[in-house]
Amino acid sequence: MTHGLTDAQFLNKVASFLGPYYIVLAVMNGLAALYLWRTGLGRTWLRLPLVGIPVTSAFLCLALGVFYAMLAPAAASGNGAWMPSMPEAWREAINRGTGPVIYSVGTVALLAVLFAFRRFFVQPAVAWIIWNAMLLFLGLSMTDRDFYEIVAKPDNVPIVMLVLLLAFFTWVATYRAVINDERAARGEPPLESLDNDKVLVWPDLVYIELICMIGLTAFLIFWAIALPAPLEEPASSVKTPNPSKAPWYFLGLQEMLVYFDPWMAGVVLPSLIVVGLMAIPYIDFNKAGNGYYTINQRKFAYLVFQFGFLEMWITLIVLGTLLRGPNWNFFGPYEYWDAHKVEALNNVNLSQYFWQGLLGRSLPTAPSGSSFGTQLSYILLREAPGILLTLGYFIALPPIMAITVFRRYFQRMGLIRFMLMANLLLFMASLPIKMVLRWVFNLKYIIAIPEYFLNF
Amino acid sequence: MADKKKMSVAEMLAAARRADSKQGGLGDSATDGNADAPAEPSVPAAAAEAAPAKRPAAPAKPAVKPGGARPSVADMLAMARAGKAAAPAAEAAPAAPAEKPAPKPKPAAAVKSAAPAVAEAAPARDTASILAAARKKDKPGPISKAEAAAASTSATAVLEKPKVVAPPMPTKPAYAKPKPAPAVKAAPVEARRDFFGSAMAAGFWLLGGVSALWTLLTVKFMFPNVLREPPSKFKVGFPDAFPAGQVQEKFKAQYGIWVVNTEYNGQPQIFALKSVCTHLGCTPNWLEAEQKYKCPCHGSGFYKDGINFEGPAPRPLERYAIRIADDGQIEVDKSRTFQEEMGAWEDPASFIPV
Repeated sequence: MTHGLTDAQFLNKVASFLGPYYIVLAVMNGLAALYLWRTGLGRTWLRLPLVGIPVTSAFLCLALGVFYAMLAPAAASGNGAWMPSMPEAWREAINRGTGPVIYSVGTVALLAVLFAFRRFFVQPAVAWIIWNAMLLFLGLSMTDRDFYEIVAKPDNVPIVMLVLLLAFFTWVATYRAVINDERAARGEPPLESLDNDKVLVWPDLVYIELICMIGLTAFLIFWAIALPAPLEEPASSVKTPNPSKAPWYFLGLQEMLVYFDPWMAGVVLPSLIVVGLMAIPYIDFNKAGNGYYTINQRKFAYLVFQFGFLEMWITLIVLGTLLRGPNWNFFGPYEYWDAHKVEALNNVNLSQYFWQGLLGRSLPTAPSGSSFGTQLSYILLREAPGILLTLGYFIALPPIMAITVFRRYFQRMGLIRFMLMANLLLFMASLPIKMVLRWVFNLKYIIAIPEYFLNF
Repeated sequence: MADKKKMSVAEMLAAARRADSKQGGLGDSATDGNADAPAEPSVPAAAAEAAPAKRPAAPAKPAVKPGGARPSVADMLAMARAGKAAAPAAEAAPAAPAEKPAPKPKPAAAVKSAAPAVAEAAPARDTASILAAARKKDKPGPISKAEAAAASTSATAVLEKPKVVAPPMPTKPAYAKPKPAPAVKAAPVEARRDFFGSAMAAGFWLLGGVSALWTLLTVKFMFPNVLREPPSKFKVGFPDAFPAGQVQEKFKAQYGIWVVNTEYNGQPQIFALKSVCTHLGCTPNWLEAEQKYKCPCHGSGFYKDGINFEGPAPRPLERYAIRIADDGQIEVDKSRTFQEEMGAWEDPASFIPV
């Protein structure tokens, strides 16, 4: 996209975007300040010692807006020295910090912290700061050529929108849930039951829908004109683009395919995702939370779903977009996509670890020319450790769960429903387990029977 | 004879009319009792009496609510309801006896025919009575014959229990008398059946034949005469064009193969690798600098001899059949593949020893 542009030309190109971008941010903060000032919301943080001017939320928003307004002309200048950009050291640190292990563990830890301290993070002031930090991070990173290549690619623009929108909506839901949980602790009804005015379908709802329809259509037309879909060379069965990325909503699936056999990651697990989502109403015995936001009243359901959605789907989409480059290698977001980057990924099957590593002997192999039965038994012997491990995981673990951590759930749900839930949970957990095993031990397959296309 | 049978619509109407003319006097007294239920369709006078009877009831209500020059809609409805209050009693009672003559009796059917008559008799009316009249009809608009008959019969039933007097059947006119069955000959029927039968059979045979032909043609369509694929057997050149340690990439674009001259199990050989990843079927690239095949889709990597070593690919790349043709050139046959994990690379057809 920026091929053949000199650095100055590239910066000019980015500047034409960044100038208006910072102005939009300034206006956003100005409007927030206006809103806070008119409604009297927000609070006074401190009083300036000499002049005695109170520093209110509105004042801070205005200051932030002025800051962006000052950044805007510098960003629009197109001069590398003037344009606000991420310091080189930070970029290096981020590049180093986005290896697979740090990225995956880091996102899990981040979500855990956000969840544990949700009461702090959902405060509008804190959320506003985070929101501004996200947008500022995007603006500062855009001057980096490699980052710009990824983020400004028309295919990837929806992912940037997805991250921002998802952050916003997750905040809205969590904010309301925290309020409702506090109200419930005080014995008050949830917010949603206060606001139960009947609204007429016609004209109220239909008008809203009409306006949304028109607005969305206008937005799509603008998008289609501003960011034309990329036209690529004709498809060829003997030529695959490098890297070859799935549509953005399937990047999670593509990431799963790296760790599993195609029929597992392409057929079984996606079907289980769909079936599992459909099974939720039948598995869920918790009647609370119907028609209002809450976390405390259905913590287990909330955590499982948010982990499955945010961690197993969204962060994998972000990973596939930002961190996967040529030859499906890991690259930092500010790293040049070098097609010849060498990464040692010498993967080993569990059977090889067991027979060659642990027992120090060769894999059991059927003598050549032996019958089908002999060959099959040799294969089963070879893969016995993996098969036992997998059977233990799926058969032995649910009863253990039932008598230990999930005792109460087992009593409430009964055998069949509990087994269903336990197995769905275990299947979901198998993906992160497999990912960690791959990254840490270079483990390829736990059961590897390539002779019959059966790998797990 | 006739009363044992079901009465026709015309008979019912006739009976109803007769009954009306007999019991007309009684109807007046009945309607006077419930002012709102003028149930006499054939006597407009009764209806005309009934209508004025309601009129005083309507102004009576606004008196309760003083100050209103014009009654509000609510008032009108209240008035109408007050006027109607007595009606259900009158209507409900006759409903039960009405069941007998009417095939499908409706409780309120009695009023149905009354309303038009009322409207004719007193065209100028206040809102209350119009509403009342309208409300009396359970189904406004045109009515079917059966409903009309039911209405008229039940109208009489309002007055007293209906005595169904079966009218003497008129003598059937000549044209209505059953004609003696025409002496039909058996033969023409048989002939016609034969004719249709055979035509039908022919049609079905034709249909079946055409369907079978279509099926066959569809099957044939799967095996076209022209195959727009490169031939599965092709020559790639003399063996000395493939020096040791080289991966020849120039056949990849057209044929989807690499011709490799390298060692496998310590034995130098020339073989043809299929350029399809064994994980999910993307086309890997040969990276000369790293001496490996690398798939761009999920990162599977293969050594130069095609053995998988990184990424998710579960098994090595496949080989195509290869041999030295009679003219000394190497000939690759894509119709046969050899899989390492099945031990097929030992097959001499899968390589050319160097």
